Amino acid sequence: MTFEVIDTDVLVVGAGGAGCRAAIAASDSNQEVTIITKDILGKAHTVMAEGGINAALANLDPDDICEIHARDTCRAGAYLNNQNLAEILANEAPPRIFDLENFGAIFSRTPDGLIMQRPFGHQTYRRTCYAGDRTGHEVLATLTDELRRRQIEIVDEVFATSLLRSRNQISGVTVIEIRTGRFQVFRAPAVIMAAGGAGRIYDVTTNAQADVGSGYAMAYKVGVELIDMEQFQFHPTGAAIPPAARGRLVTEGVRGEGGILLNKDGERFMKRYNPRLLELAGRDEVARSIATEIREGRGTENEAVFLDVSFLPAKIIEERLPTMLEDFLDIGVDIRNEPMEVTPTAHHVMGGLKIDTSAETNLSGLYSAGEVAGGVHGGNRLGGNALAAGQVFGKIAGDSAAKFAEKNSIPSIDRESISKEYSRVMAPLERDEGLSPSDETQRLQRYMWDKAGLFRNEEDLNSALNLIKDQQKQVKSKLAVKNKATRYNTEWISALELQDLILVAEMIVRSALLRKESRGAHYRTDYPNPDNKQWFVNIVTSKKKENMVLTRTPIVITKWAPPWMEK
Amino acid sequence: MGKDQIIKFRIQRYNPDVDDKPTFVTFKVPYTDRQGVLDALHYIFRNIDSSLAYRWNCRTGQCGSCAININGVPGLACRTVVNPSQDYILEPLPNFPVIRDLVVDLGPGFNRLEKIRPYLERTSAPERPEKLTREEISSAMELRACIECFSCYAACPAVASAKQEYPGPIAMRELASFEFDPRDQGDRVQLAVSSGLYDCTSCGNCKEVCIPKHIDTRRTAVEGLRALAVEREMGPLEGHQGFIDQIEETGYAVDVKTTPLTDQLPEVVEVSNPVDKVLFYPGCLINLRIQNVGINVVEVLKRNNVQVHIPKDFVCCTSVAFRTGARTIAHDMVVRNTEYFQKLGVTKVVSLCPGCMSTIKQDWPVVLHEENKPPYDFEPFDINEYLIGQLGLEGFNQKDLKPLPIRVVYHDPCHLNRHQGISEEPRKLLQMIPGIEFIDVEDSDRCCGAGGGVRAGRRELSQDIAGIKFEILSEVKPDVIATSCSFCFIQLIDEVKKANSDIKIMNVTDLLAASYRGESIK
Repeated sequence: MTFEVIDTDVLVVGAGGAGCRAAIAASDSNQEVTIITKDILGKAHTVMAEGGINAALANLDPDDICEIHARDTCRAGAYLNNQNLAEILANEAPPRIFDLENFGAIFSRTPDGLIMQRPFGHQTYRRTCYAGDRTGHEVLATLTDELRRRQIEIVDEVFATSLLRSRNQISGVTVIEIRTGRFQVFRAPAVIMAAGGAGRIYDVTTNAQADVGSGYAMAYKVGVELIDMEQFQFHPTGAAIPPAARGRLVTEGVRGEGGILLNKDGERFMKRYNPRLLELAGRDEVARSIATEIREGRGTENEAVFLDVSFLPAKIIEERLPTMLEDFLDIGVDIRNEPMEVTPTAHHVMGGLKIDTSAETNLSGLYSAGEVAGGVHGGNRLGGNALAAGQVFGKIAGDSAAKFAEKNSIPSIDRESISKEYSRVMAPLERDEGLSPSDETQRLQRYMWDKAGLFRNEEDLNSALNLIKDQQKQVKSKLAVKNKATRYNTEWISALELQDLILVAEMIVRSALLRKESRGAHYRTDYPNPDNKQWFVNIVTSKKKENMVLTRTPIVITKWAPPWMEK
Repeated sequence: MGKDQIIKFRIQRYNPDVDDKPTFVTFKVPYTDRQGVLDALHYIFRNIDSSLAYRWNCRTGQCGSCAININGVPGLACRTVVNPSQDYILEPLPNFPVIRDLVVDLGPGFNRLEKIRPYLERTSAPERPEKLTREEISSAMELRACIECFSCYAACPAVASAKQEYPGPIAMRELASFEFDPRDQGDRVQLAVSSGLYDCTSCGNCKEVCIPKHIDTRRTAVEGLRALAVEREMGPLEGHQGFIDQIEETGYAVDVKTTPLTDQLPEVVEVSNPVDKVLFYPGCLINLRIQNVGINVVEVLKRNNVQVHIPKDFVCCTSVAFRTGARTIAHDMVVRNTEYFQKLGVTKVVSLCPGCMSTIKQDWPVVLHEENKPPYDFEPFDINEYLIGQLGLEGFNQKDLKPLPIRVVYHDPCHLNRHQGISEEPRKLLQMIPGIEFIDVEDSDRCCGAGGGVRAGRRELSQDIAGIKFEILSEVKPDVIATSCSFCFIQLIDEVKKANSDIKIMNVTDLLAASYRGESIK
C-alpha cells in the first residue's frame, strides 16, 4: 500500500452550494483551504435547483420578517426542526443573499430594481428570490467564480471513501483520485462535510447521480450522530420518461400555473383526496395521492399519472414554463397540446449530520452544511429553503472550521485505519467473480422505493431491512468489479458507492421502523396518525461499537410550541 | 420500427495506460421509446461492458457533464434523443486530451477560462439593497445561463488551431457577461482583445452546439465586444482597418484595380420571355477581383430565363464592419444601398457571396431600425436558395446541362450553412449536373478560417484553420472542391497554391455555367 498524503488546514468535502460557500468563508482566515469534489467544479446537484432561495427581504411584502420565515419553516417541518437552527437560517438568509450579489450573482428584479420574490408553498409571504428558472445554477456559477477569484485549491473528480479519526478528533479523509485510481489521504485539523443528499437510494429520484449519501455513511462510520433519518421528502411530480431521466423534477410551478392531475381514466382524482386545495395541497399529500392512483391500477402504462396544462393558452406556457416546455419537447411531448406523465420522486433528505449552531458535529473538528446536515428542516423542507440553508450553514461551517484550524494543528494519522480502508476499497477490484455493483444497486433502489418510500409499514420495512442485512453480508465477500483498469473506473466507484447507499438505507429504514406514527414526510400506513405523546422527539442514529443505535432526543424548541402543546 | 430494433453505437475506446491509440468498438443496443444517448450508454455499461468510461451527473441538461461528440457534433448525451433510423458514432469531445474512452480532461479549457478573470470586478461593495433594472441586467443574465459543458469550445475552429491559445467562445461569453453587467468595473474589452477577441471566425458553430442554452456567442458576445473595442479605439486590427478606410474612401472594401464588373455588364441583362427579374448584388470581391465568378452567376441566371439587373452604384454590404465591430461606417452604406435598390425597383436581390447575403438578411434590418428607416421592401436571396426555391426543381433548366465527368466534394460556407440555413440547395444543384461524382465528407461544414476578419487580421491562424479544412477535403481526392462563397473560394485557392495541388476550387454556379457551356474542367 502506497499513498500520497496531502496536508491542508481546512478541508471541504463537496463542492455544491454549501461546500463552496464554506470554502469561501474559511478562506477569509489565513488558513489554507482545500475543496474536494467527486464531480467537476460547477456540476454539483445545486445546479438543478430551479425555484429559488428564501430570504425575508420584504421586497414585495413589507410585513415579512425573519421571524415569520423561521416560524413558517418550523410549521412546515411538523415542528421536528431544531428551532435554533431554523432561526439562524431565517436571520442569516438575507445577508447571504447580499454576499451572493457581492460575488456576482444576478437575481431577477422587481420593476423597481429590487430582488424579485415569488410565492412558494406554505410560506406566509412572497419570499423566494430567484434567477429565472435556474436559481441553483446562478448560485453555484457565482460561487465557483468566487473560488477562482480567491484561487482556492480545488481538487476535482476525487471520491472521498472515508473520514479519518484520531482519538476524539477528525484528522482527514481518504480518497480515490478517479482519473488515475490512486488512493490518497488528505490530512486536516478541520473538515467540513458538505457532500450532499442521498436521492439515489431510491429508484425514482430528482437527484443527480452523485447523490449517493456518502457523506452520511462516512460520518456514521466514525461515530458521528445523525438526526431525523426517516424524514425523506418526495416531490409529487417527476417526469416518468425517458427512462434515464425518470424522476426528473417537474417544477411545482406547473401546478401553480393551473396544471391539473388526471388518472388514466381522465379523472381529476385530487377531488377525492383534497377537494378544497386540489393539486395545490401539500407536497406530501399530493405525492401520496398520485402514488395511490398508480398503486391501485389507475396509472398510465409508464406507471404515472397525467399532469395537464394543454388547456392553458400556448403563450402562457411559453412565457412562464419555458424550461418545462423545452424539456418535454426534447422527448417529443408538446405540453401545449398534450399532457405530461408524472410520478412522485425522491427529492430531499431532511435528516443528516446533527449539528449545533456553529455547524459542528459531535466529532471535534468535523463541521457540516447543506443537505447532508440535518435538523434545520424537520419533517418537511420548504421550497427555497435548501439553497438558503446551504449558504447560511456553509458560511457558518467555514468560519467555525477556520477558527478551529487556527487553534489546532494537523493530528497524526492512524495508519492502521488507513490500511483497513485501503483493503476495503481495493477488495471489489481484486475479486474476479461475484455480484455486479449495477445489479445490486438497482435491487436496493427498487426495494427501497417499494418498501420504504412514500408509504411505509412494519412488514415492508422489515423486509427492506432484511434485504439490507443480506446485501451488507454479500457485499463484504462477493461484490466484484469486472473492469480492472483503475483509470476512470466508474464501475469500481459505483461498487463503493453501493456500500454507502446500503448504509444510508439502513439508517432510513431503522429510523422509519422505530417511529411508529406518521409525522412530516414519514408516513406509516399502519400508524397513519401522529402520536404526540410518544413521538414528538427526534430520532438520533449513531454507531456504538459495531451496532447501529437509535435514540430519542428532545426537540429543541425556542419560540414556537406546536399547537397541541399550547395552552 | 420493429419491436426488437437494434441501434449500433460505434464508440471510441482508449485507455492511455495500456492502449497505443484509440480504437472503435461497436455495441448493439435495443431501441426503446424515447431513448436518449445517455440511456444507451447506461445500457452498454450495465449489460455489455462495464469498463466503458463516460461522464454524467444530472441527466437533465443542467450540469453539462455528459458532453461528447455525437456523430461528429458536440452535444449533451442526456439531451440527445436517439433517432431509431440511424446508427451512432460516439467520440470524446475534440480539443481536449482524453482521460479514458469518452471522458476528457477539461483542464486546458478551464485553465484558459481562468486567465480572463472570470469573476465580478468592482472596487467597493455597494449599499444594500442595490437597485438594478431589468433592462440593464437582461443581456448579462442571458449570457450567465452557460452551464460550462464546453461543447462550444470543442466545436470552435480557432480553439482547434495550435497557433493561438484562444480561450474559446465560453470565455468570450464570460467576458461579455461581465462587460454587459452594469456593476462590473474591470476592463473586459481590453482583456477580450488581448485574449483573442479577433480570433473568432464568426463561423457560428458555438451557437449551433449550444443546445443546452441557445446562447448566440458569436453575435451577442464576440460582435458585441468588438463593437465596444472599436468604440474605445482598441480595434479593429491593423489588417481590418485597410478595408474600413477603403470603404470610407471608395464605397468598396477593396481597391479598384480594374473596371468593376458592374461597369462591364449592361444595366439590364435581357433574356427572351423572362420568368422572373432579379437584382444581382455582386459584393466587392466579385465586382473587383474574382469577376469571372460574377459572370458565371449571370450566365446561370440567363440560362434560366431570369432577367438580371446590375446595380452600377451599389456599395459594400459592410459585412467586414459588422464582423469586426466598426459599425458606424456600416450605417451610411446600408442606407445608401437600400435607398438605391428601392429606386431601381427590383423586388428580389440575389447574391452569391454569403458574407454579403447574411449581412443583408440579418444586419441591415437592425441598422434600418436604428436609423428609424422603414424596412427594405425587397426579398433577399442567396443564389442557391433562389435557383432551387424560386425557380423550383421543375423550373430549373436541367436540360441544357452537359456532362462534367468529375469528382466533386462540397465545402459548406459557414455564412451560408449556419447563418442562413442553406446546405441542401447547393448540393441539389451540384447533383443535377450529369456525370458529376458527388462526395460529401462528414466535416463539410467545418470552417475554413476566412471569416470574421480572421483572414485579414490573423493571417497565420486563418491559414492554419484553412490547412486543416483543405486536408479533410483533399483526402477524398476530388477534382474540384465546390463551395459557394467568395471568401471560402479565395481562401481555399491559397491552400491549393500552398500545397501545389491540382485540385480546382469552384463555386456551384461556376460549375453550372461550365456545364451549360459544355466546357471541360480537367
